[in-house]
Amino acid sequence: MKILIVEDERKLGLLLKQGLSEAAYGVTLAATCAAARDALCETSFDAIVLDLGLPDGDGLELLRQWRRSGFNEPVIILSARDAVQDRIKGLDFGADDYLPKPFSLQELLARLRSLLRRQASVKDTVLEHRGMRLDLVGRTLHFNGQPVDLTNREFALLEIFMQNPGRILPRTLICEKVWSSPYDVDANLLDVYMSKLRSRLETGGDKPLFKTVRGVGYKLQ
Amino acid sequence: MKSIGARLALWYAAASTVTLACLFLVGYYLLRGYLIHGLDLLNQSEFEQIKARLGPDYSALSSAVIDQRIRETTEYASVLFYIDIHSRDTGTIFYSSNLKGRPIPDIKGARRYDVDWDVGPLRVGEFIMAPYDVAIATPEAQVEGVMEGYAGVCAALLILMLAMSAAIGLGLSRLALRPVRLIRATASRIGSENLSERIPVPAVADEISDLARLLNAMFDRLEASFKNVRRFAADASHELKTPLSLVRLHAEKLLAGGTLNHENEEGMQTLLEELTRVNSTIDELLFLSRAESRSITLELAPHDPADILANFNVDAQVLAEHHGVHFPYSHEGSGQALCEPRWVRRVLLNLLSNAINASPPGGNIRLRSRLTGELWRVEIEDEGAGVPSSEYEHIFDRFVRLKSKDRQRLEGSGLGLAICRGIIELHKGRILAETGSNGRALRVVFEIPAQPPPPRAPSLTPDELAPATSR
Repeated sequence: MKILIVEDERKLGLLLKQGLSEAAYGVTLAATCAAARDALCETSFDAIVLDLGLPDGDGLELLRQWRRSGFNEPVIILSARDAVQDRIKGLDFGADDYLPKPFSLQELLARLRSLLRRQASVKDTVLEHRGMRLDLVGRTLHFNGQPVDLTNREFALLEIFMQNPGRILPRTLICEKVWSSPYDVDANLLDVYMSKLRSRLETGGDKPLFKTVRGVGYKLQ
Repeated sequence: MKSIGARLALWYAAASTVTLACLFLVGYYLLRGYLIHGLDLLNQSEFEQIKARLGPDYSALSSAVIDQRIRETTEYASVLFYIDIHSRDTGTIFYSSNLKGRPIPDIKGARRYDVDWDVGPLRVGEFIMAPYDVAIATPEAQVEGVMEGYAGVCAALLILMLAMSAAIGLGLSRLALRPVRLIRATASRIGSENLSERIPVPAVADEISDLARLLNAMFDRLEASFKNVRRFAADASHELKTPLSLVRLHAEKLLAGGTLNHENEEGMQTLLEELTRVNSTIDELLFLSRAESRSITLELAPHDPADILANFNVDAQVLAEHHGVHFPYSHEGSGQALCEPRWVRRVLLNLLSNAINASPPGGNIRLRSRLTGELWRVEIEDEGAGVPSSEYEHIFDRFVRLKSKDRQRLEGSGLGLAICRGIIELHKGRILAETGSNGRALRVVFEIPAQPPPPRAPSLTPDELAPATSR
């Protein structure tokens, strides 16, 4: 999997490159619009991570040019601009996802995976993990063969975890998927739902089902 | 009067009518003087005629001859002229018969004068024909008649003038005020979305174009300060968030490396948590500065509050249950509120969190929602210790933390209610704090403009509603 990172802040770019390399992605780093254009002409990428404020132009403009000239690689925008309008504008210009700064590496990885999976368009309709069987079409959960009643929110929450077993899921990402708004984090709504989910599904065994990763999010183990 | 246009028209009509009235008055005196002068000339020519009839040796004639000659000359004009000839020595020589034996009153020292006679006002001319004094008088009735006619015509013209000048004045003032209306229309159109629009300045240099230029200069300054706030928000975002990203990624890297001892790992995790908090505080402050400079535009669209509340209630019940409080809610009225649901949801969540923090265990948090024709009103009331009423104004300010007296703890960044106010004001609504129904606890109320429900289709009778086949 090859990723192009377009980021002018050198330290941040290097750190991202290192982090993604450790996650077994092949990474090319471009610091300017021109360098990004060159890189994209030379070789093809599976995904592009694009910072908006670049020294020789605006990332959004670059994205628009790409989309116009037929490049359809998935693009994640990194930006310090978190205004909703900027987010919407980015998505309108053809970005596939929008990640506000400061972000966690886990969050970037989770979003990249989700993008690449979407790209592969392989989606299981039944997810299984540690005795749980989640049927996305029938919207049912069986735990050790027994049906478990879940509310819609609980189901949506569990679905995200079941699609990313063993991976840290950042809070903002979860909230965005379940409530389509990253702001609910403030109300600790996520923690309340997690504790409900835990009380339903955790049997007090050796290894808890959900691990809290402080300052980042949760992980289904 | 409220309209400057109408006031100007009124002034214009009054000024032109008064001017015309003054002119008519002057005309009245001039015309009257002219007509009276005409009477004087008539008297004069009558005198000349009498003098010619008597001949150059009139002083030698006997009084009877004089009487006879004058009567021959003047009797046909007896309606027009009153003639009185007398001598200082011998007394009256001749009276015209229409005087009926009475003399024409004499005003000493005046040659031409008016007298009031029982037949009406007379114009008298006195002429010397030594040794006689001749007084000839003409009735002024005709002059008075002309003057009355003149006054009538003038009055009619004045009324016409008043009406016409009012109409013309109204038209003129509309014409003159058109640039002002243009300024008003443009100025009210200029909002945070189109700050670069300007009032068109007419090419001529007059008071109106000065005003337009002045307003445009004001809009320039306004636009500059708006741009500053926006630039500040963008700069602050970039300058703060890029280094925060670096700090975050470094901390995560250290944690992921697994080389930290337990104590350091704890510290690093706390750092990550604090970083999240700092970030959300930055976001909230930026949101507030954008909201106050109106550089956020919401997509206000009609939404049914019942749906928004039902969706919110799902999560609210979970939160309430988790914190051991009850959350009954009610909604009345149908229609649509003009809002953006996710922002309203944020307000509701913020208010619910505050209420949960203030509530005693097992307490009730009541949400009452009511949609009337033009307003969606939501009240959230807790059973906590409340806030002194003197604080009601301030709790929506930044960094004011609500201390819940029951638990003596501080919650949140202190921006929650400020953000609620920001969001509600962006919805063109208002938010305020009140004392709850038990006279103690806090009730927060917000109101958002609503759209009246569309007029219902004419209701059908049950017969019409029934399918045709069932008949």
